[in-house]
Order: sequence, then C-alpha cells, then structure tokens
Amino acid sequence: MYAYDPYDKEIVNTRVEEFRDQVNRRLSGELTEEEFRPLRLMNGLYLQLHAYMLRVAIPYGTLSSVQMRRLALIARKYDKGYGHFTTRQNIQYNWPKLVDTPDILLDLADVEMHAIQTSGNCIRNVTTDQFSGATADEIADPRPYAELIRQWSTFHPEFSFLPRKFKIAITGAPSDRAAVKWHDIGLVVRKNDAGDIGFEVLVGGGMGRTPVIAKTIRDFIPEADLLGYLEAILRVYNEQGRRDNKYKARIKILVEALGSDTFADLVEKEWQTTRHHPIDVPEAEIKRIEAFFAPPPLEVLPEQDPAVDELAANNFLFHAFLKNNVRPHKVPGHVNVTISLKPHGGIPGDATDAQMDLVADLADTYSLGEIRVSHEQNLILPHVARRDLPELYEALSRSGLGTANVGLISDIIACPGLDYCALANARSIPIAQNLAKRFDDITRLQDIGELKVKISGCINSCGHHHAGHIGILGVDRKGEEVYQLLLGGSGAEDASKAQILGPGFDENGIVDAVETVVAVYLGERQDGEKFLETYRRIGADPFKEAVYEAH
Amino acid sequence: MAKKPVGPQMILANCLREGRALFFGRDGAWHAEPALADVAEGDGLDALMAKARAFADANNVIDPVFIPAEQKDDHYYPAHIKHVMQAKGPSVRPDLGYQVSPDWERR
Repeated sequence: MYAYDPYDKEIVNTRVEEFRDQVNRRLSGELTEEEFRPLRLMNGLYLQLHAYMLRVAIPYGTLSSVQMRRLALIARKYDKGYGHFTTRQNIQYNWPKLVDTPDILLDLADVEMHAIQTSGNCIRNVTTDQFSGATADEIADPRPYAELIRQWSTFHPEFSFLPRKFKIAITGAPSDRAAVKWHDIGLVVRKNDAGDIGFEVLVGGGMGRTPVIAKTIRDFIPEADLLGYLEAILRVYNEQGRRDNKYKARIKILVEALGSDTFADLVEKEWQTTRHHPIDVPEAEIKRIEAFFAPPPLEVLPEQDPAVDELAANNFLFHAFLKNNVRPHKVPGHVNVTISLKPHGGIPGDATDAQMDLVADLADTYSLGEIRVSHEQNLILPHVARRDLPELYEALSRSGLGTANVGLISDIIACPGLDYCALANARSIPIAQNLAKRFDDITRLQDIGELKVKISGCINSCGHHHAGHIGILGVDRKGEEVYQLLLGGSGAEDASKAQILGPGFDENGIVDAVETVVAVYLGERQDGEKFLETYRRIGADPFKEAVYEAH
Repeated sequence: MAKKPVGPQMILANCLREGRALFFGRDGAWHAEPALADVAEGDGLDALMAKARAFADANNVIDPVFIPAEQKDDHYYPAHIKHVMQAKGPSVRPDLGYQVSPDWERR
C-alpha cells in the first residue's frame, strides 16, 4: 500500500489546520455562509437533510487495517456508530457536527487519509478495480497509475475550478469491474505489439440526467505519456466546456456536441503542442510508488483444500458463499473474498463501527492487513489463503457479514436517497430492502444467477441505475414517490444504457414489477443464459407486456 | 423575480453547528418540532421571512427557505415527503433523528 512521503503529510496536515481556521471563522461569524460553503465543500463536507455529511476519500478503494480501524473510531467517536460505503469507493458519515470536523480530519490525517477531492468541480478521487493486484486477469496493477494521477491531480492549480466535477476510473483487466465507460475519463491498461504497457483512453462517459457511454479517443497511449495526455484532455475541457448551465457542463456534453473525432483531434493538437515539455515524473518517484504496490508476498499453496471441500459439501450456505463471494487470486491457493454489505433487510453499503473493526482484524489475520472497497458497495479481503475460508466465513457470519449474495439480485447498489440526501426525490434504501426481502431464499437467488439491480433516488444517478441490468429511478410526482423501471444496462466492458420500460410504480408496485421481470427471464432463458443475455436476445417487449398486464 | 410560493408555508432552515433541520416558530425561536412552526401565506410571507432571517443570523441558523405546509388536527406540518423526512429523521433508521424525541441528540 502507498505510504505518504513528507510532502504528502505536509499538504494534508496544512489543509486540516487551514480548515480548522475556516470553521472557527465561520462559527465566530467572521465568514458568512456564502463564503464558507465552497470552503467546506473542498473538504468533503456537505449539508444534507438531517445533518452535515462528511465524505472521506479512499483512494482507488484501497485501505489498510489501521485505516479501517480509524474509520470505525470516527463512526463511534463523532458519528452515530456507522458509516456508508459509496459507489465511488468512499465512505460517508451522516451525522458529524461542524465543530468536530477539523478533529475528524486530523484523526484521518494521522492514518494518511483525508476528504480532499470528494466534492467540488475538481478531479475527484480516482477509482479502480477492487481486485487490482490480486487477480490473474489483469495486464498490470492499475493502482500505481491511480496513485500517480492522485498526486498529479491533488490541488492541481489549473484544474481546481473545472466547469463541473471530473471522474477518472482505471482498470488493469479486460473484465471491467470499475465501470470505466461510465466515467469522464476511462483508462484501460493495454499492451501493444511490442509488449509495452499503455492505455486505451475513453472520454465523455457519465450518468446523471444525460447518460452517455464513453468513447475511445486513443487506442494506446504509452505509460510515460499518460499524465501529459490527461492534461491535454483536461485543458480542452477546461477551455471549451460549458459554464453557463451546470446541467450541460460535464465533458460528455462537450464530446457529444463536438463529436468524439473532433474532440480527439483537439486533444491531439493540444498534446502535440505541449508534449515537448512533458510532465517529468522522476524515475525514482515512479519506482517509489511502484514499490508500494509490489506483488503480495504469498506462498503458493494447493488449489484445493479438503477442509474447505468438506464444509462446502455439508453446509449449503458456505457452499453458496464459496460460489458467490470468493474468486481466484493470481497466486495459486489464494482467493479474493468479497464481504457483502447487503444483508437482506439491511441498508446497502452501511457498516457499523464494530463491523469495521472486525473487518480490520480479519484483514490482519487473513489478508496481509489489506482491504478494498468496491463501487458495488462491498468490502474485499484481497489476499486470503483458501484453507482459511472456513474460519473466515464463521467469523463473518457471526457478525452479520456472511451474506452469500455477491453478484445476485439482492446485492443491490442503492444511493442514500431521500432518507439522507438533500438532492433526492425519493427513497432508495427501502426499495432495496423490500427487494432483498422478496428474494430472500438463497436457492432462488442462485437459480436466478447474476443480476445487478441498481437504484437511484434522483436523476443524478449516484445509484448507477442507468447501468443496472435492472435499474430503478425514484422520482417525485406531485409530492409522491414514484419509481421508474429500467432494463438492460451494464457497467461492465459490454457497457449499455438501461431503457425505461414504461410508466412508474409506487413503492410496493416496483417490487412486484421486478418480480414479474424475473419471472419472464426465468421462463425465457436458454441454457446457462444470464439475465442480461436473455434481455438482449428477446428485447424489452416480453417484459413490458408481462409487467403492465400484471399491473 | 422569484415566484412567490402558493398556499400555507412554514420556514425550514439548518442549525449551523449541527446541521439539524429547524422550523421557525410562532414564538420567534427555532424548533426541531414542526408543530411549533409559524405559518403564513400570500402577503404575509415577506414579513415572516424577514422576521425569520433576523432570528436566523442571531441564532446561527442558516439557509431559511419556505416549505409548503398542511394542516392536520390543530397544527401545521410539512406537506412534502422530503420535509417530513427532515422533521423526523431517516425512515430506515427509526432509532435516529427527531422521530425518537425532539432532544434525541442530547439523551
């Protein structure tokens, strides 16, 4: 894992003291609310329905056990004993007091964390594959590049006041688990014919009220040119992106307006102009960063373990856990374990302080002290020996963290919605809870198979409904919560936009409608076909007929 | 010029220190309980907001806005679900928020 150098420490600590001064000046009345608002937002502090909300960055979703314990401490000491892991691999606290926030930031800085780049029109926290560095299917671990982008983008003077917020995601594997095509810039690690590492560069993806899938503007940019090319993209956007209308200000609107070819030409021109003055990252610094992400020192172990096989044969729930929550590591005899934060009836993405402490302890015991956060709002122990799975599963199950539903219909992404968020129009969490309860039977869940449900409480799409195999969007119709049903989206390498099926439903009707959609799928699927494959083969009509006939 | 809200309105704001939702009361103070809120409509709105702003600045209360109110029994309450949520707390955490009690944070 990356460790701060003296420069990192200094800028984070300086920022904490600067914010402490700003809070004090606000509380004394020296600063007006209008003056203070942009300052608090630059430190991840929002004002939501019931209280302030502090969004803490978890760069590229990687945490140490020490950092996780600190997140637990903050939940206990300053909040209400829990935190919410988000679709941007961050954590949000829902109840901090303004006066406490400088101390929270100081506690975070102590473990090399902060809330910078979690708000405002800057380059936000870079996200990536939750299995980075621990999966056999990647060309290269994307985290050293993500860290380099973090260092380049933090407090970048030219890009601190962009037309709108700007999100970059990077994957090192062809299987896209970071939804890169739904980002302002998506980077896919590629190897050229000469065997050199570089990146396919996609631009102009995004959700919100105008969902757009990013387009490739360069098939391969060598790794040495990455920052220079990113700078050229940002410069074109900063100069030409709209600032007159916040709903038209994202880069996707500019790319759509110009056409991706024209946009690519502008970037190329800018890059050719500036590439002779490259952003010169010293080789020693690159080596320093890479060393933090060296392959984990794991012993090669047998792929099979008799105790694991025996428990799987005798314990149906462990068998399901093995099938759904466990995937192979790049080192034989090891696995990545996904800890579902989607207990049936629970709040997607929420974890109590005790659960966070437990995950930290389990990471120390079984995963080299390392934890990941996925954009699907789950936690991952990336480096677990297969032989340790029975013990680990037992410990997780005792604490309500053993739900064996990863990738299944109850592993639902849901934004905080109208239960917490000032922007929301409808509640998301109760819909997720009711759906999970409706599909509570593990045998049924497994029979349905992979099915990604994603719920947003407003058009801003923090719940990724556009990318859901089944997407649900909550809207406000004359003060009533109404839920639209969308089908056919994907956030993976085969990205697609979900389409609205028809008129919306009330909170009970939407659960019935999803059940009808699932029934149509089960009736129509061919051997081994997943939900999305069936949908793409038969189209929306059979689903539409069944849903609205039954409604 | 912004359109004046239609129908009975109350004023909702946030406490600067804690961020909690507060309603401008008939007694000129800020309360967590919407039943204590002052209500006006039509020509009375400007006077109510002027009074609330004066009390907001003096009490570290921020961002006062009109919200629609509806009468139930003898009191007015927020009409829109968003403001109902603000008055109570998250529906998915009935152990948190003012639905527990008006002074739940201090208990």
